[in-house]
Amino acid sequence: MSIALNSQYFDIDDSDDVQEFYHSRGWTDGFPIVPPTPEAVQACLDWVLMPPNEIIGIEPVRERTIDAEKLAINAVMAGCLPMHFPAVVSAWMAMLKDEFLLHGTTASTGGCAILVILNGPIRQEIGTRSDFNVLGSSDRATSVIGRAIRLALINILQVSPGAIDRSTLGHPGKISYCIAEDEENSNWPSLAESRDIPKEASAVTVLAACAPRQIMNEWTTKPEEILDTYAAEMRANMRNYSIWSGNYVVVMPAQHREHMRAAGWGRTEIANYLFEKARIKRSEWSTVGKGSVIRDKGDTEYCALPSPDHLLLVAAGGPAGGFGAIIPPWLGTKSQAVTVAIGACVDCEPPAAQ
Amino acid sequence: MTIRVLNPTSESTVVTLEPAPRLQSLEGKTVGLISNGKEGTAGFFAHVDRLLRERYRVAEVILRTKSNYSAPAEDEIIDEARNWDLAITGLGD
Repeated sequence: MSIALNSQYFDIDDSDDVQEFYHSRGWTDGFPIVPPTPEAVQACLDWVLMPPNEIIGIEPVRERTIDAEKLAINAVMAGCLPMHFPAVVSAWMAMLKDEFLLHGTTASTGGCAILVILNGPIRQEIGTRSDFNVLGSSDRATSVIGRAIRLALINILQVSPGAIDRSTLGHPGKISYCIAEDEENSNWPSLAESRDIPKEASAVTVLAACAPRQIMNEWTTKPEEILDTYAAEMRANMRNYSIWSGNYVVVMPAQHREHMRAAGWGRTEIANYLFEKARIKRSEWSTVGKGSVIRDKGDTEYCALPSPDHLLLVAAGGPAGGFGAIIPPWLGTKSQAVTVAIGACVDCEPPAAQ
Repeated sequence: MTIRVLNPTSESTVVTLEPAPRLQSLEGKTVGLISNGKEGTAGFFAHVDRLLRERYRVAEVILRTKSNYSAPAEDEIIDEARNWDLAITGLGD
């Protein structure tokens, strides 16, 4: 196979040396990487039928071009197999949309991560899991896709701590933050379908997102009472972190979903309820030590969601336990969730080796 | 066994811009302040404004505030900045 890649290459004596070579240059997240050999990188490019210099997009603030080859190198380093690469490419296409404000999200002291949510057939094709430990290390596919996003940020856009990344704290999702929706065990249309992607298509949704905030309520079967707990956590986030409305993720595991299903509640009813309940008045800042910035706006009401459509409801989580999570947005609507269909031909066989 | 591996960084040459000529004095100049609009900027830039007028005797201080503190300044602000002798920006709380 002839390989015509454009990147600088290094010939290194053994794999242990490769690790130190990459770590010492600040090219990792601190974990070992898979050596990005030309063959492995080319295999990723073949899978998405892209030439190395295919432009995925341009980060508009610093005018940096993201091409397929550099994404593939970082994806291999993260542990991606070729079949994982379409999700990485599509996530980056989504991240480079203007409304995502990639530079702001990655440079901010706020320390958000980029959450990637997978929908459609690709989830099963690449072996994602949406049940146990879904917000942790649930499976290989989501772990390496999420890590590929971060490594590419570090290496292509210099989003390293103290460089472009000015996070005060950050959070563990900045290592890897990718989940897949449990579409098979959910009675509502998928998140991607709710955002106008055909059911047959695979899709990624990206969100500049804070860490998950877990809730628990297994003492009721009433949708209203269950959702009151989620809404309370959203209100707590509005008081303690950011009052501005934006895209909130609600991750709802099976136990809560079953209560919703039994009561005939779907995506619309849940979103409408949270839209009404996840509201605070600015005067509530006085209860959390922020009274100095209430000024004359104490009676002004703020809603977590600009509209019910801004809720990103995701069916995911283990089969047992009355738990759930909200994942707040980085900063209101300054960065907006973006959903794109995975355009690469994920069902095609890669071209035969020459 | 030797292993060949690839550079994961952008490798692209970044176009560096020439800085504007340095001013010898601020006296009589027009200074623009581009605020990111965060809470702490009001007091900070008010103080900078006062210092510029009282200590450095600038002719005029113009304060402009970005609509989104996490995004670049609007084109209108950049266009207006062409008429300033000096701009102070990149500061926030």
